[in-house]
Amino acid sequence: MDQFTISPSSGVPIYKQLFSQIERMVLNGYFSVGDHLPSVRQVATSLEVNPMTVSKAYGLLEERGYLTRLRGKGMVVAQRDEAFCEQEKFKMLNKMIEELLMQAQQMGVNEKEIIDLVTASASKNGVNSIKSKE
Amino acid sequence: MSNTSAVINIKSLTKAYKKEQVLKSLDWQVNQGDIVGLLGKNGAGKSTLIKSVLNISDIDSGNITIFDEEHQHLSAQTKGRISYVPQENDEILWLSVSDLIKFRKQFYYQWSDEKVAELISRWDIDTAKTLAELSPGQVQRVLIILALAPLPELIIFDEPAAALDPYARREFLKEIVSLASTENITIVFSTHIVSDLERVANKVAILEQGKICYFDDLDTTKENVVQLIICHTDDAEIDVPNLLRSKKNHQGLNCVVSQLDENWLEKIQKQGVAVTVNPMGLEDIFLELTA
Repeated sequence: MDQFTISPSSGVPIYKQLFSQIERMVLNGYFSVGDHLPSVRQVATSLEVNPMTVSKAYGLLEERGYLTRLRGKGMVVAQRDEAFCEQEKFKMLNKMIEELLMQAQQMGVNEKEIIDLVTASASKNGVNSIKSKE
Repeated sequence: MSNTSAVINIKSLTKAYKKEQVLKSLDWQVNQGDIVGLLGKNGAGKSTLIKSVLNISDIDSGNITIFDEEHQHLSAQTKGRISYVPQENDEILWLSVSDLIKFRKQFYYQWSDEKVAELISRWDIDTAKTLAELSPGQVQRVLIILALAPLPELIIFDEPAAALDPYARREFLKEIVSLASTENITIVFSTHIVSDLERVANKVAILEQGKICYFDDLDTTKENVVQLIICHTDDAEIDVPNLLRSKKNHQGLNCVVSQLDENWLEKIQKQGVAVTVNPMGLEDIFLELTA
């Protein structure tokens, strides 16, 4: 039950922290379709947070199609359209890139330099998808 | 029974000590299921407010109802639905814990011996000792047990965590979390330990200058009150909506707003002004709102 972590004193509301954590865990395959999520009460007790906070995060994940509520069985990871998942992944990455670009702009680093940095870092860490498929 | 979900309803509450006006026409409503953290600087009047609500202190004027009954004339049934943990121990010091529990039990319609036994063993309390023989932290735990035993629907804690060490505080918070998930309970706790509140409260109230000057969802509060860092090259003044305060430095403008205006943000970002939006922890928010 220690699969989630939160930092209560962060300015980001706890339900949002939980939401993005679980969203990421679904998108990166930590949770597969049909997996059961721990109950609201279990999460609330283990993280020592208000159960309403956990419900709120679960509700939002259900609304966005990540989770489905099974009667009497709690929340499971929903069956989803592949294309939609891809879209969501890119959306999430895009957000991070926007953040990166904003920081770069403030530091006076230009677009070309950023692209070079990303390429260099990717080849160094072996994140290049073509390589990993070989 | 009434159809309103207000558990505590306060209208124009005024209270002075000698010449000092502590509560000034204070209005506040706490609804069923709310877990409210009541914040305020030292001396803001948090205890005065709590004692007024519970009719421990007389009020000068105003109107208070609890569970739709006038607070000075609560029925015995309604009193049984309310628990209070005071800041300072007011229990009988020379009774052993087990005798104290027996004594208190007589006053209630409802009393859970299981709950008492469970907490006593979990919190490792020697029931043969008297309160005078226990440490302040242990005494506070006994008071919390006495408050939870009658299975109340409204619990008011005045600085519950003040005498507890970090470990005991966590245990106490765990108990609140478990209460909040099992019963439809309403909890008000005053504190100046903001981190306790961030975990368990769903609402935050700030008492300042005799009034509840702020009362909102904790999540909404964190989403609304943010810090903006505005970098702009020219010296043109930027009009920031809902501004709480701003400070100029070499980077640009550092400000805090009570609510971020998304339309405004989009507009000035289009004009090429770089704005960074930083969320703020509750402690900082509290300091900004009471500055």
